[in-house]
Amino acid sequence: MKDLAVKVFRFDPECDESPHYQTYLVTVNEGARVLHVLHAIHDDHDPTLSYRYCCGSGQCGSCAVRVNGQPVLACMEEARDGSIIEPLDLPVVKDLVVDMEPYLRQISSLVPGEEFRMPTAEEVEEIKPLRSCIECLACVSACPALKVIDFAGPAAMREEMRLALDPRDSGDRVTEAVRDGLFTCTSCQACWKVCPKDIQIPGKAIEKLRALANKKGLTLPRHQEVSQLVRETGRSVTRTEPTFMEQVGEILEPYGPVKATVGFFVGCMYNQRLPQTAHDAMEVLRRNGIRVIIPKEQVCCGSPLIRTGQLDVLDTLKRRNIDAFVFRNIDTVLTMCAGCGSTLKNDYKTPFRVVDINELLTRYGIEPPARLPLKATYHDPCHLMRGQGIRDLPRELITQVVDLVEMPSICCGSGGGVRSGIPEEAAALAEMRRVEIEKTGADIVISSCPFCEFHIMEHTDRPVKNVTTLLLEGYREKDRKKASPEPC
Amino acid sequence: MRSDGVDTAHVLVIGSGGAGVRAAIEAAGYGETLLVSKTLAGKGGCTTMAEGGYNAVLREEDSCEIHFEDTLKGGAYLNDRDLVQTLVREAPERMADLLRWGAVFDVTDSCEVAQRPFGGQRFPRTCYAGDRTGHEMMATLIDRLDAAGARVENEVTIITLLQDGERVSGAIGLDKSGEMRIILADATVLATGGGTRIYDISTNSSSGTGDGYALAYKAGAELIDMEQVQFHPTGAVYPYDARGRLVTEAVRGEGGILKNSLGERFMGRYDPERMELSTRDVVSRAIATEILEGRGTEHGGVYLDVTHLERKQIETKLPVMLEQFLKFGVDIREEPMEVAPTAHHIMGGLRISPEGQTTVPGLYACGEVTGGVHGANRLGGNALADTQVFGKRAGEAAGRAQERRKEADQAVISAEENRISAFYDGDISPSTVVRSLRTAMWDGAGIFRTGPALEKTREIIIHLLMLRPRAASPANLAECCTVQNMLVTASLVVRGALLRKESRGAHVRQDIVQTWDMQHSPYGHTFLSRSREGIETEVQE
Repeated sequence: MKDLAVKVFRFDPECDESPHYQTYLVTVNEGARVLHVLHAIHDDHDPTLSYRYCCGSGQCGSCAVRVNGQPVLACMEEARDGSIIEPLDLPVVKDLVVDMEPYLRQISSLVPGEEFRMPTAEEVEEIKPLRSCIECLACVSACPALKVIDFAGPAAMREEMRLALDPRDSGDRVTEAVRDGLFTCTSCQACWKVCPKDIQIPGKAIEKLRALANKKGLTLPRHQEVSQLVRETGRSVTRTEPTFMEQVGEILEPYGPVKATVGFFVGCMYNQRLPQTAHDAMEVLRRNGIRVIIPKEQVCCGSPLIRTGQLDVLDTLKRRNIDAFVFRNIDTVLTMCAGCGSTLKNDYKTPFRVVDINELLTRYGIEPPARLPLKATYHDPCHLMRGQGIRDLPRELITQVVDLVEMPSICCGSGGGVRSGIPEEAAALAEMRRVEIEKTGADIVISSCPFCEFHIMEHTDRPVKNVTTLLLEGYREKDRKKASPEPC
Repeated sequence: MRSDGVDTAHVLVIGSGGAGVRAAIEAAGYGETLLVSKTLAGKGGCTTMAEGGYNAVLREEDSCEIHFEDTLKGGAYLNDRDLVQTLVREAPERMADLLRWGAVFDVTDSCEVAQRPFGGQRFPRTCYAGDRTGHEMMATLIDRLDAAGARVENEVTIITLLQDGERVSGAIGLDKSGEMRIILADATVLATGGGTRIYDISTNSSSGTGDGYALAYKAGAELIDMEQVQFHPTGAVYPYDARGRLVTEAVRGEGGILKNSLGERFMGRYDPERMELSTRDVVSRAIATEILEGRGTEHGGVYLDVTHLERKQIETKLPVMLEQFLKFGVDIREEPMEVAPTAHHIMGGLRISPEGQTTVPGLYACGEVTGGVHGANRLGGNALADTQVFGKRAGEAAGRAQERRKEADQAVISAEENRISAFYDGDISPSTVVRSLRTAMWDGAGIFRTGPALEKTREIIIHLLMLRPRAASPANLAECCTVQNMLVTASLVVRGALLRKESRGAHVRQDIVQTWDMQHSPYGHTFLSRSREGIETEVQE
């Protein structure tokens, strides 16, 4: 047996004006789950605590709650001392019980067609991963889009795709999905990462439905323009100044001894819109012994097309990009755009290793920068944190220069084609970021993705900088101090 | 239709597992149907947790006769033959319904429903969707329920059946804030599932509290074979709070083997022919014996091992098992599971006709709350089939019921109000009562039973029935009613066990020496109602 202290959200709309948190000290068995902590509170402390549960074995989806902010199944999540247990981010009925029914009702049902054909083994294999959903609504709780715009949500989109795959269904699932907000998903992957059944909703449902929508001519006009641009220029954004690649040579030698050689996949945003940030990164790499090769024939990675379901030129892009690096015998390709990195790692089969710049710099270690007297907050790019599993590394770099104040990791709204396709949604999500940034009291915002940086910049009055720009400022401060040492 | 706090429907279905939802789908074709669920419909009950599969004769090489014989033999010949005939004959048709409505079962390369071997069956006739078969069925049924136009009331706990004379005319429930709900209906279908939550170690969901047995018993219905409680051979043993969690028979169906702490594949000593795929009563006793005789594992179980199987087979055929054990730190591809028996299914229950008619007019029943289909031991895979076959039949019979004038009996309602408001003055926490009950049942009415131990258990239950559970708030009233239902169900199990003075199927009386084998037992069903109790003694054919 062991003792745990947990803080639990309590709210009875019948008599409480506002929610409060109650701390309980409970005695539970070794290996107890969060659900057993709730049982212990209910049985031994306060029988009025309301919470839902049923199967106790992760199969019915009744008991999802948030533990330290993360949606989990109470029956499967191991209970830990000091946890904060809250309801899902849905309308609260009482305490940990939320109103699930409106969301469950939005999930479509199969409508048998006139003719019956059993799905084939291949079709079953395709449907199965989408079918293991237990409708716990952890994904709905985590989805940023449906907090700011009409969207049936990830669980419902998953079912639309499952139905679209089933030969027995007679519904027009693609049109239905578009109507219910298919294009509002920002590809942030939050739904997948909290799914207790590990259902890859963005990749296996949303993007697939968008590809089907594309075949039906339902792609948003703004997304079609992006596709047109890629076909014509090889780039997904227009240029506003000389591009990064036009300004640099093909090989950048480090200032000191070579620790490693990498090929640099620049990405459309850093090449066309934020070349200075890419220059800053190169300067940091050169100071830290990294030799950089920049093949000039590289093109857009295709991410904006994959996310929006426009796959016709994708294979050409992939081949050109892979060839550009293979031709130069490059075994490690560096990305500094989180979106490109995630795409190369997850949507490509590359004969070379792909590393994000945060991984590269922490792997080889960096020359210590000087500290700057600033308080910073960090915005986790979705395609870095969830797409590549990189959360701590940028923080390791940032805290060498400035003090870091955390804020919740939520999508800024720029991904998945939402910034171009549904700008009002992108703006609403960025506004939520602005509020969180404000709450931290930070002087600057750091991130590690050009889409996030560009988008957040438009919505906050604080400077938004890339991790490498911050490092470079630390180095410049160091150089300045060295050049004119302060009098003792 | 609702007016003045009274809700009316042609058919009221109580319970939202496989049987209840199937009944509601069928009944909705005849008139306004209201399904009342203690949980969110589709999430409660045990169907959604059923992992292994659904038995149905689908192949030329198989036959309904063999399925019938397997079921009877597995049930130690205590089964009601008419019900078994109905089950085996209609299981394939009900499977076809599910497929038509969109169920995603595993299929063979030639697009036929795939089948796996299960215990006690001479043909691999268990259809499956990986190891989440019941979940697949529930997802399909809930879809269909929507389309069928039945109304659903979620999170309302039925606490008593209303009667007009003897005839059941609806029910009284409590919603989640403790408000009383009156529902009047021409016919009522009880599909409340099982009740092995009365045991300390159980596979059941939180709703497996035996409410249906208690509600029907109080309404005068007759129950049969309540002593027949199936202990599933393989439940998880640790961590402590996860003990009893079902480890599907599909693990053995896919080739998993059982070993004791000495590494012996001990089933050879108990059933050398069928080994791990013997019937559940036999495997459970074998495991319990190994543990009792000191050949158990560190956590008090035996090993269930699939590490010799292809990783891919484990990942695709047993994904839920893999995921659950990984959550508890065991990779079943690399190391064996530890398992021990766990209370799983009550074979006994309401006496029904093949149409699902109970012994009380106006009351129909289907699924685990009924008795007779599975005899003294249920075959794995027959319960899911049971829910569909008898769910449809009960829904249909209820749907055909005559329209009646619906009037609530104010006296009954006031009496019920008084009964529940007394819980505010109770003096013991409901969870304390439940804890005592569970321990008593596990110790005294478990896998191995004796007359004296059963008597002692009965005394404990009588004592617990006299305690007054306390409701801390209106929302806790239903909990108090549930505790009382659990006590009534437990007393029925114990009374049945005392009545059956033989070992038969899952029911083992160590204090009785018998000279007959199962097929030649002089005994038939035990029966219990408010007006009579006993054991049938006509000699079985």
